[in-house]
Amino acid sequence: MTEMEELTEELSGLLENNAGELKKQWVKEMTEMRLLEKLTPVEIEQQSSAIYDTCVMTIKTGMYEAAKKYAREMAKKGVLEAMTVDQIIMGMLKLRDVYGRFIFSKYKDDVEKLYKVLGIYEPIANRILNIVALAFVEERERVIKEQQQAMLALSTPVLQIRDQILVLPLIGTIDSARAAQIVEQLLNSIVDTQASVVIIDITGVPVIDTSVANHLIKTIQAAKMLGADTLITGISPANAQTLVTLGVDLSMMTTRGTLRSGVKLADEMLKPVVVEKR
Amino acid sequence: MEIPILKIEEFLIVSFQTELSDQEITKLTEEMLEKIKKTNAKGLIIDITALRIIDSFMARCLSSIADMATLLGARTVVVGMQPAVALTLVELGLRIKWKIQTALNLERGIALLRTVMRSEKDSVYE
Repeated sequence: MTEMEELTEELSGLLENNAGELKKQWVKEMTEMRLLEKLTPVEIEQQSSAIYDTCVMTIKTGMYEAAKKYAREMAKKGVLEAMTVDQIIMGMLKLRDVYGRFIFSKYKDDVEKLYKVLGIYEPIANRILNIVALAFVEERERVIKEQQQAMLALSTPVLQIRDQILVLPLIGTIDSARAAQIVEQLLNSIVDTQASVVIIDITGVPVIDTSVANHLIKTIQAAKMLGADTLITGISPANAQTLVTLGVDLSMMTTRGTLRSGVKLADEMLKPVVVEKR
Repeated sequence: MEIPILKIEEFLIVSFQTELSDQEITKLTEEMLEKIKKTNAKGLIIDITALRIIDSFMARCLSSIADMATLLGARTVVVGMQPAVALTLVELGLRIKWKIQTALNLERGIALLRTVMRSEKDSVYE
Protein backbone atom coordinates (compact mmCIF):
# COMPACT_ATOMS: atom_id res chain seq x y z
CA MET A 1 0.00 0.00 0.00
CA THR A 2 1.47 3.34 -1.00
CA GLU A 3 1.55 6.36 1.22
CA MET A 4 -1.19 8.04 -0.84
CA GLU A 5 -3.49 5.07 -0.49
CA GLU A 6 -2.83 4.90 3.19
CA LEU A 7 -3.59 8.58 3.62
CA THR A 8 -6.76 8.29 1.53
CA GLU A 9 -7.98 5.48 3.71
CA GLU A 10 -7.09 7.37 6.84
CA LEU A 11 -8.95 10.44 5.59
CA SER A 12 -12.09 8.62 4.58
CA GLY A 13 -12.00 6.73 7.86
CA LEU A 14 -11.78 9.98 9.78
CA LEU A 15 -14.67 11.47 7.79
CA GLU A 16 -16.78 8.39 8.33
CA ASN A 17 -16.13 8.26 12.06
CA ASN A 18 -16.94 11.92 12.55
CA ALA A 19 -19.91 11.86 10.20
CA GLY A 20 -22.51 12.78 12.81
CA GLU A 21 -20.68 15.81 14.10
CA LEU A 22 -19.62 17.12 10.69
CA LYS A 23 -23.07 16.67 9.22
CA LYS A 24 -24.60 18.57 12.10
CA GLN A 25 -22.10 21.37 11.60
CA TRP A 26 -22.85 21.45 7.86
CA VAL A 27 -26.63 21.53 8.29
CA LYS A 28 -26.26 24.26 10.90
CA GLU A 29 -24.20 26.44 8.59
CA MET A 30 -26.61 25.92 5.71
CA THR A 31 -29.56 26.79 7.94
CA GLU A 32 -27.82 29.98 8.97
CA MET A 33 -27.47 30.90 5.31
CA ARG A 34 -31.19 30.13 4.81
CA LEU A 35 -30.45 27.57 2.13
CA LEU A 36 -32.80 24.93 3.49
CA GLU A 37 -36.00 26.89 3.93
CA LYS A 38 -38.00 24.90 1.40
CA LEU A 39 -37.10 21.52 2.87
CA THR A 40 -38.69 19.68 5.80
CA PRO A 41 -36.46 18.45 8.67
CA VAL A 42 -36.84 14.86 7.45
CA GLU A 43 -35.77 15.85 3.96
CA ILE A 44 -32.78 17.75 5.35
CA GLU A 45 -31.70 14.70 7.33
CA GLN A 46 -32.10 12.36 4.36
CA GLN A 47 -30.50 14.61 1.78
CA SER A 48 -27.56 15.70 3.89
CA SER A 49 -26.80 12.09 4.88
CA ALA A 50 -27.00 10.98 1.28
CA ILE A 51 -24.76 13.77 0.02
CA TYR A 52 -22.31 13.33 2.85
CA ASP A 53 -22.05 9.57 2.32
CA THR A 54 -21.69 9.95 -1.43
CA CYS A 55 -18.83 12.38 -0.95
CA VAL A 56 -17.01 10.16 1.54
CA MET A 57 -17.59 7.21 -0.76
CA THR A 58 -16.09 9.11 -3.66
CA ILE A 59 -13.02 10.08 -1.63
CA LYS A 60 -12.63 6.48 -0.48
CA THR A 61 -12.97 4.78 -3.85
CA GLY A 62 -11.91 7.49 -6.27
CA MET A 63 -14.91 6.51 -8.43
CA TYR A 64 -17.18 9.31 -9.55
CA GLU A 65 -20.05 7.25 -10.97
CA ALA A 66 -22.11 7.36 -7.76
CA ALA A 67 -21.56 11.10 -7.44
CA LYS A 68 -22.62 11.65 -11.04
CA LYS A 69 -25.74 9.56 -10.65
CA TYR A 70 -26.69 11.30 -7.44
CA ALA A 71 -26.04 14.74 -8.90
CA ARG A 72 -28.27 13.97 -11.87
CA GLU A 73 -31.09 12.85 -9.60
CA MET A 74 -30.65 15.91 -7.45
CA ALA A 75 -30.67 18.15 -10.53
CA LYS A 76 -33.92 16.64 -11.72
CA LYS A 77 -35.50 17.06 -8.32
CA GLY A 78 -34.08 20.53 -7.80
CA VAL A 79 -35.29 21.82 -11.11
CA LEU A 80 -38.71 20.29 -10.60
CA GLU A 81 -39.20 21.71 -7.14
CA ALA A 82 -37.86 25.10 -8.13
CA MET A 83 -34.90 24.95 -5.77
CA THR A 84 -32.38 27.35 -7.14
CA VAL A 85 -29.06 26.17 -8.47
CA ASP A 86 -27.57 28.87 -6.32
CA GLN A 87 -28.84 27.16 -3.16
CA ILE A 88 -27.51 23.74 -4.07
CA ILE A 89 -24.09 25.00 -5.17
CA MET A 90 -23.77 27.12 -2.03
CA GLY A 91 -24.65 24.05 0.01
CA MET A 92 -21.97 21.98 -1.69
CA LEU A 93 -19.40 24.73 -1.19
CA LYS A 94 -20.30 24.78 2.48
CA LEU A 95 -19.74 21.03 2.74
CA ARG A 96 -16.34 21.55 1.15
CA ASP A 97 -15.54 24.18 3.77
CA VAL A 98 -16.66 21.94 6.61
CA TYR A 99 -14.48 19.08 5.40
CA GLY A 100 -11.59 21.44 4.79
CA ARG A 101 -11.69 22.93 8.24
CA PHE A 102 -12.01 19.51 9.83
CA ILE A 103 -8.96 18.24 7.97
CA PHE A 104 -7.05 21.34 8.93
CA SER A 105 -7.84 20.97 12.63
CA LYS A 106 -6.92 17.27 12.57
CA TYR A 107 -3.55 17.69 10.93
CA LYS A 108 -2.59 21.17 12.09
CA ASP A 109 0.35 19.83 14.11
CA ASP A 110 1.91 18.05 11.13
CA VAL A 111 2.06 20.55 8.29
CA GLU A 112 3.74 18.19 5.87
CA LYS A 113 1.03 15.58 6.29
CA LEU A 114 -1.64 18.28 6.08
CA TYR A 115 -0.35 19.27 2.65
CA LYS A 116 -0.46 15.70 1.45
CA VAL A 117 -3.98 15.10 2.74
CA LEU A 118 -5.17 18.35 1.18
CA GLY A 119 -3.52 17.22 -2.04
CA ILE A 120 -5.74 14.17 -2.02
CA TYR A 121 -8.87 15.89 -0.80
CA GLU A 122 -8.94 19.08 -2.90
CA PRO A 123 -9.00 17.63 -6.44
CA ILE A 124 -11.78 15.26 -5.42
CA ALA A 125 -13.83 18.00 -3.79
CA ASN A 126 -13.39 20.24 -6.84
CA ARG A 127 -14.40 17.49 -9.18
CA ILE A 128 -17.51 16.70 -7.14
CA LEU A 129 -18.55 20.35 -7.27
CA ASN A 130 -17.90 20.37 -10.97
CA ILE A 131 -20.10 17.30 -11.43
CA VAL A 132 -22.92 18.87 -9.45
CA ALA A 133 -22.80 22.15 -11.36
CA LEU A 134 -22.67 20.37 -14.71
CA ALA A 135 -25.60 18.15 -13.79
CA PHE A 136 -27.69 21.23 -13.12
CA VAL A 137 -26.71 22.98 -16.32
CA GLU A 138 -27.44 19.85 -18.34
CA GLU A 139 -30.81 19.41 -16.70
CA ARG A 140 -31.75 23.03 -17.42
CA GLU A 141 -30.68 22.68 -21.02
CA ARG A 142 -32.70 19.54 -21.42
CA VAL A 143 -35.82 21.23 -20.06
CA ILE A 144 -35.30 24.28 -22.27
CA LYS A 145 -34.83 22.14 -25.37
CA GLU A 146 -37.97 20.19 -24.61
CA GLN A 147 -39.98 23.35 -24.17
CA GLN A 148 -38.63 24.85 -27.38
CA GLN A 149 -39.64 21.78 -29.32
CA ALA A 150 -43.07 21.75 -27.77
CA MET A 151 -43.50 25.42 -28.63
CA LEU A 152 -42.41 24.93 -32.23
CA ALA A 153 -44.89 22.13 -32.68
CA LEU A 154 -47.69 24.18 -31.17
CA SER A 155 -46.92 27.41 -32.86
CA THR A 156 -48.21 27.04 -36.39
CA PRO A 157 -51.61 25.51 -36.89
CA VAL A 158 -52.87 25.64 -40.45
CA LEU A 159 -56.67 25.67 -40.51
CA GLN A 160 -58.84 24.79 -43.45
CA ILE A 161 -62.02 26.85 -43.24
CA ARG A 162 -63.45 26.25 -46.72
CA ASP A 163 -62.75 23.74 -49.46
CA GLN A 164 -60.09 25.98 -50.91
CA ILE A 165 -59.26 28.44 -48.15
CA LEU A 166 -56.59 27.99 -45.49
CA VAL A 167 -56.10 30.25 -42.49
CA LEU A 168 -52.74 30.54 -40.78
CA PRO A 169 -52.99 32.50 -37.54
CA LEU A 170 -49.52 33.60 -36.42
CA ILE A 171 -48.96 34.32 -32.75
CA GLY A 172 -45.84 35.52 -31.02
CA THR A 173 -42.51 36.68 -32.33
CA ILE A 174 -41.18 35.16 -35.52
CA ASP A 175 -37.49 34.34 -35.80
CA SER A 176 -35.86 32.73 -38.79
CA ALA A 177 -36.10 29.18 -37.41
CA ARG A 178 -39.81 29.61 -36.90
CA ALA A 179 -40.28 31.39 -40.21
CA ALA A 180 -38.68 28.49 -42.05
CA GLN A 181 -40.93 26.06 -40.25
CA ILE A 182 -44.00 28.16 -41.04
CA VAL A 183 -43.23 28.32 -44.77
CA GLU A 184 -42.62 24.61 -44.95
CA GLN A 185 -45.77 23.70 -43.11
CA LEU A 186 -47.89 26.12 -45.09
CA LEU A 187 -46.61 24.93 -48.47
CA ASN A 188 -47.19 21.31 -47.54
CA SER A 189 -50.71 22.11 -46.35
CA ILE A 190 -51.43 23.90 -49.62
CA VAL A 191 -50.44 20.83 -51.58
CA ASP A 192 -52.27 18.48 -49.24
CA THR A 193 -55.55 20.37 -49.26
CA GLN A 194 -55.22 21.83 -52.78
CA ALA A 195 -56.23 25.19 -51.38
CA SER A 196 -56.09 28.18 -53.70
CA VAL A 197 -56.30 31.00 -51.18
CA VAL A 198 -54.30 31.33 -47.96
CA ILE A 199 -55.06 33.92 -45.31
CA ILE A 200 -52.18 34.72 -42.98
CA ASP A 201 -53.48 36.49 -39.91
CA ILE A 202 -50.80 38.37 -37.99
CA THR A 203 -52.95 39.94 -35.28
CA GLY A 204 -50.91 38.04 -32.69
CA VAL A 205 -47.49 39.10 -33.95
CA PRO A 206 -46.36 41.92 -31.66
CA VAL A 207 -43.52 43.33 -33.72
CA ILE A 208 -43.01 43.26 -37.46
CA ASP A 209 -39.58 44.33 -38.62
CA THR A 210 -37.82 44.01 -41.94
CA SER A 211 -36.82 40.41 -41.38
CA VAL A 212 -40.35 39.32 -40.50
CA ALA A 213 -41.67 41.25 -43.50
CA ASN A 214 -39.10 39.52 -45.71
CA HIS A 215 -40.17 36.15 -44.39
CA LEU A 216 -43.78 37.02 -45.18
CA ILE A 217 -42.88 38.10 -48.69
CA LYS A 218 -40.95 34.89 -49.29
CA THR A 219 -43.87 32.85 -48.01
CA ILE A 220 -46.24 34.65 -50.35
CA GLN A 221 -43.92 34.15 -53.31
CA ALA A 222 -43.47 30.47 -52.61
CA ALA A 223 -47.23 29.97 -52.23
CA LYS A 224 -47.79 31.84 -55.48
CA MET A 225 -45.42 29.46 -57.24
CA LEU A 226 -47.53 26.56 -56.13
CA GLY A 227 -50.56 28.38 -57.47
CA ALA A 228 -52.13 29.75 -54.30
CA ASP A 229 -52.86 33.40 -53.57
CA THR A 230 -52.08 34.80 -50.15
CA LEU A 231 -53.87 37.49 -48.17
CA ILE A 232 -52.44 39.16 -45.09
CA THR A 233 -54.86 40.28 -42.41
CA GLY A 234 -54.63 41.83 -38.98
CA ILE A 235 -51.76 44.27 -39.39
CA SER A 236 -52.03 46.62 -36.42
CA PRO A 237 -51.83 50.39 -36.94
CA ALA A 238 -48.49 50.50 -35.14
CA ASN A 239 -47.11 47.76 -37.35
CA ALA A 240 -48.42 49.44 -40.49
CA GLN A 241 -46.56 52.56 -39.43
CA THR A 242 -43.30 50.70 -38.84
CA LEU A 243 -43.53 48.86 -42.14
CA VAL A 244 -44.01 52.05 -44.12
CA THR A 245 -41.32 53.87 -42.16
CA LEU A 246 -38.91 51.01 -42.75
CA GLY A 247 -39.66 51.27 -46.45
CA VAL A 248 -40.66 47.63 -46.84
CA ASP A 249 -42.19 47.11 -50.27
CA LEU A 250 -45.52 45.45 -49.73
CA SER A 251 -46.95 46.13 -53.16
CA MET A 252 -47.24 42.44 -53.88
CA MET A 253 -49.20 41.73 -50.72
CA THR A 254 -52.97 41.82 -50.63
CA THR A 255 -53.94 43.03 -47.18
CA ARG A 256 -57.17 43.41 -45.26
CA GLY A 257 -57.74 44.85 -41.83
CA THR A 258 -59.42 41.91 -40.16
CA LEU A 259 -59.59 38.18 -40.62
CA ARG A 260 -63.31 38.58 -41.28
CA SER A 261 -62.85 40.85 -44.26
CA GLY A 262 -60.02 38.61 -45.43
CA VAL A 263 -62.32 35.60 -45.49
CA LYS A 264 -64.92 37.64 -47.33
CA LEU A 265 -62.40 38.65 -49.98
CA ALA A 266 -61.21 35.08 -50.35
CA ASP A 267 -64.78 33.93 -50.88
CA GLU A 268 -65.20 36.51 -53.61
CA MET A 269 -61.96 35.44 -55.27
CA LEU A 270 -63.25 31.89 -55.45
CA LYS A 271 -66.68 32.73 -56.88
CA PRO A 272 -67.15 31.17 -60.30
CA VAL A 273 -67.05 33.75 -63.06
CA VAL A 274 -70.44 34.11 -64.67
CA VAL A 275 -70.36 35.03 -68.30
CA GLU A 276 -73.25 35.92 -70.52
CA LYS A 277 -73.69 33.65 -73.49
CA ARG A 278 -73.18 35.49 -76.70
CA MET B 1 -35.86 10.78 -73.93
CA GLU B 2 -38.91 11.59 -75.98
CA ILE B 3 -41.44 13.73 -74.14
CA PRO B 4 -44.93 13.70 -75.61
CA ILE B 5 -46.74 16.98 -76.17
CA LEU B 6 -50.43 16.31 -75.75
CA LYS B 7 -53.21 18.38 -77.16
CA ILE B 8 -56.58 18.76 -75.47
CA GLU B 9 -59.10 21.16 -76.98
CA GLU B 10 -57.06 24.26 -77.68
CA PHE B 11 -54.37 23.64 -75.10
CA LEU B 12 -51.09 21.77 -75.17
CA ILE B 13 -49.94 19.77 -72.17
CA VAL B 14 -46.34 18.81 -71.48
CA SER B 15 -45.52 16.72 -68.45
CA PHE B 16 -41.92 16.43 -67.21
CA GLN B 17 -41.39 13.01 -65.70
CA THR B 18 -37.67 13.16 -64.95
CA GLU B 19 -35.00 15.77 -64.54
CA LEU B 20 -33.96 16.93 -67.99
CA SER B 21 -30.49 17.72 -69.22
CA ASP B 22 -29.83 21.17 -70.64
CA GLN B 23 -29.83 19.84 -74.20
CA GLU B 24 -33.10 18.03 -73.69
CA ILE B 25 -34.75 21.19 -72.40
CA THR B 26 -33.53 23.18 -75.38
CA LYS B 27 -34.76 20.53 -77.79
CA LEU B 28 -38.10 20.29 -76.03
CA THR B 29 -38.51 24.06 -76.18
CA GLU B 30 -38.17 23.97 -79.95
CA GLU B 31 -40.67 21.14 -80.23
CA MET B 32 -43.19 22.92 -78.05
CA LEU B 33 -42.96 26.14 -80.03
CA GLU B 34 -43.32 24.22 -83.32
CA LYS B 35 -46.37 22.44 -82.00
CA ILE B 36 -47.97 25.67 -80.78
CA LYS B 37 -47.48 27.13 -84.23
CA LYS B 38 -48.80 24.03 -85.99
CA THR B 39 -51.89 23.49 -83.84
CA ASN B 40 -52.55 27.16 -83.21
CA ALA B 41 -52.88 26.37 -79.50
CA LYS B 42 -54.12 29.08 -77.17
CA GLY B 43 -52.51 27.74 -74.04
CA LEU B 44 -49.51 25.73 -72.88
CA ILE B 45 -49.56 23.80 -69.64
CA ILE B 46 -46.27 22.56 -68.25
CA ASP B 47 -46.67 19.97 -65.52
CA ILE B 48 -43.69 19.70 -63.16
CA THR B 49 -45.30 17.60 -60.42
CA ALA B 50 -42.63 14.93 -60.77
CA LEU B 51 -39.67 17.29 -60.54
CA ARG B 52 -37.99 17.38 -57.12
CA ILE B 53 -35.25 19.74 -58.23
CA ILE B 54 -35.34 22.78 -60.48
CA ASP B 55 -32.04 24.52 -61.03
CA SER B 56 -31.62 28.09 -62.14
CA PHE B 57 -31.14 27.06 -65.79
CA MET B 58 -34.39 25.14 -65.79
CA ALA B 59 -36.18 28.04 -64.12
CA ARG B 60 -34.85 30.47 -66.69
CA CYS B 61 -35.90 28.13 -69.50
CA LEU B 62 -39.43 27.86 -68.16
CA SER B 63 -39.57 31.63 -67.97
CA SER B 64 -38.34 32.11 -71.52
CA ILE B 65 -40.62 29.39 -72.89
CA ALA B 66 -43.52 31.40 -71.45
CA ASP B 67 -42.28 34.56 -73.13
CA MET B 68 -41.80 32.83 -76.49
CA ALA B 69 -45.19 31.13 -76.31
CA THR B 70 -46.83 34.48 -75.63
CA LEU B 71 -45.30 35.79 -78.85
CA LEU B 72 -46.98 32.91 -80.64
CA GLY B 73 -50.28 33.68 -78.97
CA ALA B 74 -50.33 31.01 -76.27
CA ARG B 75 -50.57 31.57 -72.50
CA THR B 76 -48.32 29.43 -70.33
CA VAL B 77 -49.20 27.95 -66.95
CA VAL B 78 -46.81 25.92 -64.82
CA VAL B 79 -48.67 23.41 -62.64
CA GLY B 80 -47.85 21.10 -59.75
CA MET B 81 -44.74 22.69 -58.33
CA GLN B 82 -43.47 20.92 -55.19
CA PRO B 83 -43.16 22.92 -51.95
CA ALA B 84 -39.44 22.31 -51.72
CA VAL B 85 -38.96 23.51 -55.28
CA ALA B 86 -40.95 26.67 -54.63
CA LEU B 87 -38.87 27.38 -51.53
CA THR B 88 -35.61 26.91 -53.39
CA LEU B 89 -36.69 29.19 -56.20
CA VAL B 90 -37.75 31.88 -53.75
CA GLU B 91 -34.47 31.55 -51.88
CA LEU B 92 -32.64 31.89 -55.19
CA GLY B 93 -34.48 35.15 -55.68
CA LEU B 94 -35.87 34.10 -59.03
CA ARG B 95 -39.34 35.32 -58.34
CA ILE B 96 -38.52 38.81 -59.58
CA LYS B 97 -37.77 37.57 -63.08
CA TRP B 98 -40.38 34.83 -62.92
CA LYS B 99 -43.57 36.04 -64.53
CA ILE B 100 -45.19 32.74 -65.43
CA GLN B 101 -48.59 31.94 -64.03
CA THR B 102 -48.78 28.95 -61.74
CA ALA B 103 -51.55 26.62 -60.61
CA LEU B 104 -51.79 23.84 -58.07
CA ASN B 105 -52.69 21.06 -60.49
CA LEU B 106 -53.60 20.31 -64.08
CA GLU B 107 -57.29 20.87 -63.51
CA ARG B 108 -56.79 24.32 -61.97
CA GLY B 109 -54.31 25.12 -64.71
CA ILE B 110 -56.89 24.49 -67.41
CA ALA B 111 -59.48 26.48 -65.45
CA LEU B 112 -57.02 29.35 -65.12
CA LEU B 113 -56.29 29.37 -68.85
CA ARG B 114 -60.00 29.37 -69.65
CA THR B 115 -60.59 32.35 -67.34
CA VAL B 116 -57.71 34.27 -68.85
CA MET B 117 -58.86 33.56 -72.38
CA ARG B 118 -62.43 34.49 -71.59
CA SER B 119 -61.46 37.84 -70.15
CA GLU B 120 -59.29 38.51 -73.19
CA LYS B 121 -62.17 37.65 -75.50
CA ASP B 122 -64.46 39.94 -73.53
CA SER B 123 -62.10 42.85 -73.85
CA VAL B 124 -61.93 42.29 -77.62
CA TYR B 125 -65.71 42.34 -77.95
CA GLU B 126 -66.19 45.46 -75.87
